[in-house]
Amino acid sequence: MNLYKSYFNDELETPVLFDINLKIETGEFVAIMGPSGSGKSTLMHILGFLDVPTKGHYHFKGESTEEKLEDDLAHIRSESVSFVFQQFNLLPRTTVFDNVMLPLIYGKTSPLKRRDFVMQAIESVGLKDRATFYSNQLSGGQQQRVAIARALVTSPEVIFADEPTGNLDSASGKHVMEILQNLHKKGHTIILVTHERTTAEHAERILHIQDGRIIDDEKGFTRRIASQIKQLK
Amino acid sequence: MLFRDTVNIAIRAVTANRSRALLTMLGIIIAVGAVILMASIGKSMEGVILDQVSILGPRTIAIWPGNKGPEGGSGTMNPDYDKLTVNDVDAIEKLPTIAGISPVIFVTGKVSYGSETSDTRAGGSTPDIYEIQNIELQEGRLHDENDEKDVRAVAVLGTDTALDLFGNQNPLGKRIDIGEQKFTVIGVLKPAGSAFFQNMDERILVPFSVAKITMQRSYVDMIAAVSATDDLEYAAEDVSYLLRKRHKITLPDDGGTDNDDFLVRTAAQAQDILGAVSLGLTFFITMIAGISLVVGGIGIMNIMLVAVTERTREIGLRKALGAKQKDILRQFLVEAVMLTFLGGLFGLLIGIGINLLIVGIAHKFLTAYIFKLNTFAIVLSVVMAAVTGLAFGIYPARKAASLNPIEALRYE
Repeated sequence: MNLYKSYFNDELETPVLFDINLKIETGEFVAIMGPSGSGKSTLMHILGFLDVPTKGHYHFKGESTEEKLEDDLAHIRSESVSFVFQQFNLLPRTTVFDNVMLPLIYGKTSPLKRRDFVMQAIESVGLKDRATFYSNQLSGGQQQRVAIARALVTSPEVIFADEPTGNLDSASGKHVMEILQNLHKKGHTIILVTHERTTAEHAERILHIQDGRIIDDEKGFTRRIASQIKQLK
Repeated sequence: MLFRDTVNIAIRAVTANRSRALLTMLGIIIAVGAVILMASIGKSMEGVILDQVSILGPRTIAIWPGNKGPEGGSGTMNPDYDKLTVNDVDAIEKLPTIAGISPVIFVTGKVSYGSETSDTRAGGSTPDIYEIQNIELQEGRLHDENDEKDVRAVAVLGTDTALDLFGNQNPLGKRIDIGEQKFTVIGVLKPAGSAFFQNMDERILVPFSVAKITMQRSYVDMIAAVSATDDLEYAAEDVSYLLRKRHKITLPDDGGTDNDDFLVRTAAQAQDILGAVSLGLTFFITMIAGISLVVGGIGIMNIMLVAVTERTREIGLRKALGAKQKDILRQFLVEAVMLTFLGGLFGLLIGIGINLLIVGIAHKFLTAYIFKLNTFAIVLSVVMAAVTGLAFGIYPARKAASLNPIEALRYE
């Protein structure tokens, strides 16, 4: 794909992404890294079908996404991708269980199976004993784990995490990253957006974005070499 | 997305802020409550009037002198008061369409027994009146053809009149004064309630022949007739035709009845008038309902717009999690309809509650005023309340559905 994205403000065009050429394989753990305003979130939104490119082609699972309508995109969001946000974005005054169940009501899961899926997801983030708590009764780290459980519950192919540790203390952040690592090992494609090198280090591939362009793409071999060099130093 | 899930979300949204939901519904509650109340009162009043019509008997035809009816006055106030003569009565009686007839002459004068007085008006009529008006006896006897023939000064009293004049004494055989004439009480009637807002228990019935002589009259104040056929209009037309011929009245070309010096009314006509009144009432109520539902609906729309703004992030999140536009649209529509429908139900309960109170009070004065629900109004107003939610919820719901997920998620 080669993507262009501009934001339009009245008649003023503000280009955000230029000529992004990118291929992400199934099962990869990719970090998109860059300073704020670099366009990394916009890229994630387009990859996650929350936004559409102004120009260019985006193929998902070998299929072009250009002609797709709003509801088709909603369908992909419901079935194939999910998000973990910096702000957690849990529904307040709602139990952990109901928060995690939320994506299922927009999907095709039979109501009878929901309970099992939800409990599995909650267990996998280690919050089984918190299922009946209200989301606002939990700590930040726990809330983010609920958000991850919510992202897991539909068993999506791709999980997008937008600065998932941004609002967390380092211990909670580490815990969250471990969970994402485990998901990667289980075969989920993880796309992480961050501005922190330490967070990005968890990924096996790091895309550096600056001023709307990919300036560096550290992949498996290079990464290993780079980190070995670092260790040697 | 399952409809059940949509409803659950709406229930949660409505119950999350109960006091606001209640205030939002207030307009709808008042609208529906007022409609239910008005419609039920109308229905109860209709019941009262129907009850009174039926007291007269379904086949009764009433004939008055003058063409304004009983409101125009059946005494000397009426310029045509002397137009229905005893001969007219005889002629009407001979009509094949008339099965029975009873003329009435009112006997004026103060009614008294010793120092006790009553302002009841005594009516002289033939014994047929008892059958025509379904009058039933409690004790003693009713006057009969022999009383008429012998011109006996006897009187039959309604229960209230008997109580006024005699208290706890037995009135039978006592002699009362009506004007200058003395009458012997021979019977007391069963309590009959009220008809056409007149107390039917406050009456004195005397023989027609006595009234005719006492009042020295050859004209009557009213004629109660019974149709021989179910076609009351036909019988009434027969009577009118006969009276016009006898009174040498020609109708103007437009068929108007302004030249008549008498008025013929049937129970069916009374019901027609009733029907017209209740139609007018229904129209009036519908208008009030329409206006207040629109006002209530604007309130709903306002709150729903606030809700969309407040929950922008939630909408963004739901979309990010896979909610389609129509899922969001439905969620807010169902919430709006739920608010108006609940408002409609509350209004219904309040309307019925107030109506029960009114019935409790009114029943003391009007025994026929009983609790009645206008089911048509209930169904219509609750359905209209729900439709209002749909109509006024659509704009905020569309606004919510069309939000861009990213912008919505970033909304602070």
